[in-house]
Amino acid sequence: MVTAAHVREALAAVKDPEIPTCSITDLGIVHDVRVTAERIEIDLLPTFAGCPALDVIKRDVEQAACDLAPEVEVRFVNAPPWTSDRLNDDANDSLKAFGISPPLLQIGRAHNVTCPYCGSDQTVEESAFGPTPCRTVRYCNSCRNPFEGFKTKR
Amino acid sequence: MSDPRASLLFALADDELILGHRLSEWTGWVPYIEEDLALSSIAQDEIAHARMLLDILSVIDGRDPDALALGRAPGEYRNAILCEQPNTDFAFTLARHWLYDHADDVRLRALQESSFKELREAVAVMLLEERYHLEHADAWFRRLADGPVDARHRFGEALANAIGMAEALFEPLDDESVLVSEGILPTGTEEWHDEWLARIGGMLDEVGFDQVLTSQGEPETGEMVPTSTGEIESTEQIARRVPSSGAGGRRGEHSEHFEPLWLEMTTLYRAHPGARW
Repeated sequence: MVTAAHVREALAAVKDPEIPTCSITDLGIVHDVRVTAERIEIDLLPTFAGCPALDVIKRDVEQAACDLAPEVEVRFVNAPPWTSDRLNDDANDSLKAFGISPPLLQIGRAHNVTCPYCGSDQTVEESAFGPTPCRTVRYCNSCRNPFEGFKTKR
Repeated sequence: MSDPRASLLFALADDELILGHRLSEWTGWVPYIEEDLALSSIAQDEIAHARMLLDILSVIDGRDPDALALGRAPGEYRNAILCEQPNTDFAFTLARHWLYDHADDVRLRALQESSFKELREAVAVMLLEERYHLEHADAWFRRLADGPVDARHRFGEALANAIGMAEALFEPLDDESVLVSEGILPTGTEEWHDEWLARIGGMLDEVGFDQVLTSQGEPETGEMVPTSTGEIESTEQIARRVPSSGAGGRRGEHSEHFEPLWLEMTTLYRAHPGARW
């Protein structure tokens, strides 16, 4: 018998098409998984409404789940709103591995955006808008590299 | 009789769609790369928000979201005419951006309490993204208002040109009384307008641009004369403005700038109905 946990395990292998080191489950995109004998329903949360990768993510999720049940329905929902607080520690590590600094952490936790190259916290935001809706452009005053940051959304 | 929720959704979605389309015209032409990314990203967000709203409308209306976005006749669009105005120059684009995004913020905050669940959920998502648009607009507002003199002069002129049309973002909606009585609109467009005016009025005062509001509709003559402190005494632009000039969009009446925009925006859809990629 396939359980929701099995489905989530299969979905952990689905990567964000624009951040290939990062699993969509670590990014907190998978909201709800409902499993019956013949059907799997998966609710996903768009990180940003204008994300051009949504259709690709939906297709990849359908493919990942299609071996587990005869019928798979994948949809994007607006509630709850996705926030960057949904990223787990693995997502933060895999973002860094791709050269993207993680978003500002929840209030009460460490707050500096560190450079993914040299680890310095002497970084500044150059622009809130980057190459994709979920990224910002930052600059490291220590190693003097521009880098991308994952946008804080909350 | 049509569902009163449709008039609200068409107004909100069409503002975002048409302004998003206009902003996308800047892609590749902005004075520097970071700002090119910013305006292009904002355009992308606005069009995505239009899609969210049209997805909701689609359930009520029966047409699919693409048909709603691109398959309507020009007279069926309900955007405020501010949104369809040509970008003109960077000053006008940023003046419109600032006026519009404060107006959008006021109405979205009000709609957080709407009795219309699907809309309330979409609004919660939109607000998290619009926050960055507002910060961007405010940063440019302060930067340009601070001068140098030519920048301040042109920005003040652009604000004066846009303010009358921006007020028409709060034109009453069809069936507004029904929308209010059903709690779909927790507050009406008149209250939104007052809140917006108080908010932008305070900011205009702070930078010495209060004449953008106070001289509205009063026939004055004279040239834009920056003083030694960069203050602007009076402008012909302000004098030419008529308060009601920006109205009509919510009834499907548009300026001469709408049809060329519509022709371009819908070219592919009309040439290849149902095209997908």
